[in-house]
Amino acid sequence: MAALRDRIRTLLGRRSDPKTIISVQNDRRLVVTSILFLLLLGLPLWWTTTRVYRAELPATEISQFALDQVVPFTFYIDTPMTVTVENIERMAQKLIDKQRTHDLRVRYTAQVRHKTEVPDAPGHYTLRLREAAVGAVDFGVDRVAHVSVSEADSKKRDAAVAKLVADIVAKEERELREKKGARRALKYAPEYSVTFTLLNEDPVGGAAVSWDIEQAADIFVRPFADTLRPLAKLAVSTQILHHAGPPPVTPLAHDNGTYLTPDMLPHFANSPWWNLASTDPIAPTISFILYVPALRSQPLRIEGSSTNAFVVSQWGGIAIANLPGTEVGASVVISRDELQKYFGIFIAQLRELVGIRNDTPLIPGTRVSLQRATATGISSWELDALMRQWMVANHQTAITTLQSLVRLVESMENMVVMDEIKVQVDQSLSALRSIPQALSSGNQLLAFELAANASYFAEGAFFDPSMVSLLYFPDQHKYAIYLPFFLPVTIPLLAAIKKAIRRDSPQNDSKPDVPDDKKNE
Amino acid sequence: MKLSSLFSCTVLVLSLLAVAFGASSNEEKVTQFFDSSETQHTNNWAVLVCTSRFWFNYRHMANTLSMYRTVKRLGIPDSHIILMLADDMACNPRNSYPAAVYDHPRKTTDLYGDNVEVDYRGYEVTVENFIRLLTGRVAPDTPRNKRLLTDDKSNVFIYMTGHGGEDFLKFQDSEEINSYDIADAFKQMWEKQRYREILFVIDTCQANTMYSKFDSPNILSIGSSKKGQNSLSHYHDFDLGVSVIDRFTYYNLEFFESVDLSSKKTLADLIAAYNRSLIQSDPGVRTDLFARDLKKTYLTDFFGAVQNVELTAEAFPIGGNKVKKSSVK
Repeated sequence: MAALRDRIRTLLGRRSDPKTIISVQNDRRLVVTSILFLLLLGLPLWWTTTRVYRAELPATEISQFALDQVVPFTFYIDTPMTVTVENIERMAQKLIDKQRTHDLRVRYTAQVRHKTEVPDAPGHYTLRLREAAVGAVDFGVDRVAHVSVSEADSKKRDAAVAKLVADIVAKEERELREKKGARRALKYAPEYSVTFTLLNEDPVGGAAVSWDIEQAADIFVRPFADTLRPLAKLAVSTQILHHAGPPPVTPLAHDNGTYLTPDMLPHFANSPWWNLASTDPIAPTISFILYVPALRSQPLRIEGSSTNAFVVSQWGGIAIANLPGTEVGASVVISRDELQKYFGIFIAQLRELVGIRNDTPLIPGTRVSLQRATATGISSWELDALMRQWMVANHQTAITTLQSLVRLVESMENMVVMDEIKVQVDQSLSALRSIPQALSSGNQLLAFELAANASYFAEGAFFDPSMVSLLYFPDQHKYAIYLPFFLPVTIPLLAAIKKAIRRDSPQNDSKPDVPDDKKNE
Repeated sequence: MKLSSLFSCTVLVLSLLAVAFGASSNEEKVTQFFDSSETQHTNNWAVLVCTSRFWFNYRHMANTLSMYRTVKRLGIPDSHIILMLADDMACNPRNSYPAAVYDHPRKTTDLYGDNVEVDYRGYEVTVENFIRLLTGRVAPDTPRNKRLLTDDKSNVFIYMTGHGGEDFLKFQDSEEINSYDIADAFKQMWEKQRYREILFVIDTCQANTMYSKFDSPNILSIGSSKKGQNSLSHYHDFDLGVSVIDRFTYYNLEFFESVDLSSKKTLADLIAAYNRSLIQSDPGVRTDLFARDLKKTYLTDFFGAVQNVELTAEAFPIGGNKVKKSSVK
């Protein structure tokens, strides 16, 4: 105790020394200014290091990007007769515009040329004209139509050809607007995973069933997949499910056999117990099921169906295979020739599911005939129409996705926007910018690829995993983190600053400096 | 003689007419059936989330598994159900019925059974993963069963259960999701057309606050209890030493017992069946964002997998000539 008293006494004694007071005051000032200096330096540093990084997105360009598109078709007239292509083009365009009742974002137009070197590419079609007693149109599998013209007068002939051209173009444009069949078809994807499943309900009470699927897939599906390849990849897989068990609905009994009513069909498909799931992480799945009913319910028929098959929207198709004459315990192999019937159904369903319309390019009538693409399952006219439909859809998806992205980023201040996002947005935009040029130069396939890329990059940016990292980090959380750190430091600091100011102010100069803690002594 | 033949003629004509009419009306019914499906959704998804850990929260897992059983029974396949279970009660050392989970002391149905596909398990059940799942912002190497691959024609049923409070729901006692987060996620889903309609059901304390911040269209929300109210548990099982289910979920499931694939029961029926004295809290329903009339919204629109079907009119003449040519192989 005595030592402490001595210490206080010496301290008090030193206080009377004015030099010491000055030096303490100078020290205090030094400490306060250095802390202020550190704050001045530290605050910007803290600000920059904790700031959310947001790459600048070209928001104004994106918001102004128009959905408008002009898609020209080119028709080449191959004929010994005299036709004036300029007249046809003018008349056809007039007719197309006249049929366009709505103000459309996407407009299809027609160009008409004399037969020259015709590129074998989407959007370029040859019309072979010849004279005949009766007018008729015959669409081939390739991009060629044979047109019989009955009009002898060259002017009337031009008008007839112009009408044909206009009808083809306007019909597709109209269908694009009506979105017919869009409910059934899947959205565009660069790859679809197509699964063919042979489902045997009950091999115990019936036969063990197998199928010649490898050959059948080679002959009936591969050509289709190859033809579609420039637009989308079909990854085909097959499986057999033995002991699949009955569907969730019980077929009704009939004189000989059983039947399903239409309102039972929605429950027939997609039983949770049939293992139809795909392992592919994102490719949309199209499932086809060849269903072999239990022997006791054979023959199983669908009421009102001649094919005994049905499509499930955006999911796949189911065909019922009754195997007459099988015995219990037998093992049956459905041969390739027998499978042709079922694959005819599956191809028809597959066409619907990818979005091919059956009546392209003109409504079949007495004087219009279409050649069905029996080898591949998809004719060039159909392929082109599908490509244009996907091109327009991708173009719109890309633009709307980019616009959603900009809205999202603007509405969420805390969201990190990495440079990769900007790179993807720029890639998408540059693809979008090149589309009009590709279209006007007649390269529809390039325009399709650009649109697909634009949509791919736009979706990549929107769904980028980094776009969620700081989503749930509201301001309250920040205060909660910083307050415990800075509050204990800030209060003494502020007090010291206050004290220093008070001490330095002129009215305090005359007063002797007595520390607060000593006042009470 | 003449008279009788005339009579039989009339009978014949009449019966023919009857047959013709019968056939035409039947055909009408068929076409009507296929037309009415025009405006429907084409696929159903279910996201079932149990956010609680630890043995004493057994009932939350039982809640979720019971819902899982129900949607599966009504036809949603595993590939379209995202099941998030924070803790594995079935294999908990304190479970005196190993590998089984029950939602009733009678123990008639084993909820775990032999066919449960859990997509997010244990520590994978986080707020971040849940938000990523909803918004689709998952890492590129995420397998298919951990993705919500919905589109603008999907009806999504979202069920959440766990411990919560006003405007938040705890995830595994370590973090929480708040009502703004879910509202944000739904907004982004709508922005990118990731759903057609959402049915959001939540069983937690003060559950009705969780849907109060939603502002996206076509969402119908149901909560188990209002602000300031607890959601109570139901049966206590003395063998297990824990409660096995929550009241709100229990009475929902009881109603679903009477629902099958072809049921025409509506959401209005379900809500009318809520009995305050049995549930012992005030279930809330928010319909202002939902466009359809609840009396015309079938339960199977969300809990089943009713699909649009169309008969295939004709087969495509595939392989007309080529079959013979390539038969060499």
